[in-house]
Amino acid sequence: MFVEGAATAREKERMLAHLADCAECRKTVFLMQPREESQAAPATPAKEWVWRWLVPIGLPAAALACVLIAMLIYIRPRSAPPAVPPQIARATQPKLERPGAETAAVPATNSERVAPSGNPKNGVARNAAPPKLSQEKQHFAGGLNLSKSPSSQTAAKVASPQIVAAAPVPVPNADAARLAGTISAVKAPELPMNGRNVTNDQQLATSTAAQGAVAQNSLAVRKDVPELRVQHAGEQSETLAGVSGRITDRSGAAIAGGTITLRDADGKTRQTTASADGTFHLAELPAGQYELTATASGFATSKQSIELKPSELALLKPMLDVGAASTAVEVAAQSNTVSIQTESANVGQVEAETRSMSRIIPVPSGQPVVTTVSHDKRLLSLDNSGNLFLSRNKGKNWKKINPQWVGKAVRIEWTTVASTGAAFQVTTDAGAVWTSKDGTHWHQQ
Amino acid sequence: MDTSSANIIPTEPSGGKDCTASVAKGIAVETEVATQSRLLPETLGEELWQTAGAELVEVSKAEFAQALETIGTRDNFGLDPSKQANERQREMFWRALHLEELAIAHGCALGRESAWGRFLAQYRDQLTRAAVEMTGSSALGEELASALYSELFGLTEREGKRWSPLLGYSGRGSLMGWLRAILAQRRVNQYRKIRRETALDEIEPAGAVSEPLELERLEDLRVALRMTLSEASAEERFLLSSYYLDQHTLQEMSRVLRVHVATVSRKLKRATERLRKQLLRTLIARGLSRRAAEEALGIDPRDVDINLRKLLQKSEGAANSDKRGEV
Repeated sequence: MFVEGAATAREKERMLAHLADCAECRKTVFLMQPREESQAAPATPAKEWVWRWLVPIGLPAAALACVLIAMLIYIRPRSAPPAVPPQIARATQPKLERPGAETAAVPATNSERVAPSGNPKNGVARNAAPPKLSQEKQHFAGGLNLSKSPSSQTAAKVASPQIVAAAPVPVPNADAARLAGTISAVKAPELPMNGRNVTNDQQLATSTAAQGAVAQNSLAVRKDVPELRVQHAGEQSETLAGVSGRITDRSGAAIAGGTITLRDADGKTRQTTASADGTFHLAELPAGQYELTATASGFATSKQSIELKPSELALLKPMLDVGAASTAVEVAAQSNTVSIQTESANVGQVEAETRSMSRIIPVPSGQPVVTTVSHDKRLLSLDNSGNLFLSRNKGKNWKKINPQWVGKAVRIEWTTVASTGAAFQVTTDAGAVWTSKDGTHWHQQ
Repeated sequence: MDTSSANIIPTEPSGGKDCTASVAKGIAVETEVATQSRLLPETLGEELWQTAGAELVEVSKAEFAQALETIGTRDNFGLDPSKQANERQREMFWRALHLEELAIAHGCALGRESAWGRFLAQYRDQLTRAAVEMTGSSALGEELASALYSELFGLTEREGKRWSPLLGYSGRGSLMGWLRAILAQRRVNQYRKIRRETALDEIEPAGAVSEPLELERLEDLRVALRMTLSEASAEERFLLSSYYLDQHTLQEMSRVLRVHVATVSRKLKRATERLRKQLLRTLIARGLSRRAAEEALGIDPRDVDINLRKLLQKSEGAANSDKRGEV
């Protein structure tokens, strides 16, 4: 009662008097204190005098400082160089045989210029870059049409990934030029009318000498790189970028359940699984060079290098070719273990993958969602801390899954397991694989 | 260790018979209470009984009402003994109690199985952890906790009646806090049995005095100390005893007093400064010059044959076995 503050003032006084005299009771009182407990302490009165002095002086000073800062912020943009409007560039691929191709290829060399496709609704425009990095609102519907012509292998043909980067703030002309290379600008009326979405053909029109990352990387040298658009989002983080896109085959059909892996220069990876309509999304990526790997069961793996600029949203459209057997080498996120999966080609299997998860739904942990996999109404999401969350009602309510595995979950997917059939599958950083049909009951494979 | 099976050995028939017995007791109690003037109105009693969930732990309305009235009367509803609580004050007192925990404690004291089940489910692990924390040893902690369970279950009889320390729980603080206090008391007693404490007289060093004080001046200092310390407030004496005698840290003291550590530090500093000034005044009043008084205060206490512990504390304190755990 005394220790918990439940005693009245009189009782407390009486107890203090006893405690002052009784060593045994003092021992008891101190012994019963939990060690880790730190009781909330009221503000020490000793500091009252500080506040008495600070309040009449400090508050006006703070208010004046706020006003000055506001004025600086207000004035400063006016004296700054005019904002560079967002760059929307499209690289057309004149030689691609895809009917109704929405994109144009980026010429292989810088000397070529890409004629603007003139369809502002392609790619980014449709995605209507929302101001925020939260890409739930960006539905990249403009899938890439890939033909399913049998091709040889792997990374040889990364068809038309479209990189559309969106930045919230003016992009320096040099950056735009670098990105553009042979990219032409396209107006994107679907973008938020924040005054920064006006494209500037002339700014993007290039600089044949532009040797930006895009021009230098494998994307730029590929002749079959399709439409490339650069888009600047609104209120994205100044330093982080995002990747969004859709995996399709050569014919343009969406590939569900494919895996997108981004690996940075340090070897760190971020991975996600595409939804039933092939869309995927990775947010809060530090700017820099990445190697993008797209894999799907029954398809050849594709790899390419991309560069993400701060506050850009890259819209990608990896196209995969059907392969007789595909071998995916994936580096587990945030670990150095490498798991190699060999899958036999089974196009039909692809169609039985998870249903749509067209947007990333936040999970209760507040951490960025690495991957979300859905099946029927059940959603299984993995955040970047390795926490697994299950929703039985399409993301309305979430339940955290208590991990039965040792280590951290780094990958989730809906797949077919020989022993159990179609099920959710979790792979840990130790390489352990657990499956569950309902997302609740897990069994180690 | 499965304390539930090892220690919780029903001494009364369980199940229905126990319930019947308890109901019978309840009826008897109710009749008895009805003949007395009831402080707890029936409607309020019903409401508090339901709020406490006492039915779930097989405590009848009458039993719970009696417990509430006993607690209220014993503590005079939190008021000064000279005052009498009115109906509103009584109601506020009862409503402020930890009713659910009180019901569990009372049910356990009465030997109700459902109450024990709930008690063990909610408190066993916490108690064991607390005991381990206090003893610093897993084995000792579990032993201490097990011993407490037996005691709480009421294997002790007094005047032919089953008695449990849980009857002493008033519900004014949390049950876990009360249990920690009981556990701490048992631990202190256990420690005293295990290790003989050094007699207080032996604590004060009888070392040689580097500069022997005149006996008269020493007596002046002793008297001044006694007078000054007796004039100190309870809080000051508690602070001084805890810090200088018990060697507790400011952090520990701040937790007990539920204030910020800076507050404890400030209060301690004020207490020592006030004591010093008071001592100076007292010594000067007894005829010492200021210089002599300051010299006397500057003496190393270890060189002075004065038992500060005895001066600061008026009593040694008895064994804590019967304490109600009010702390």
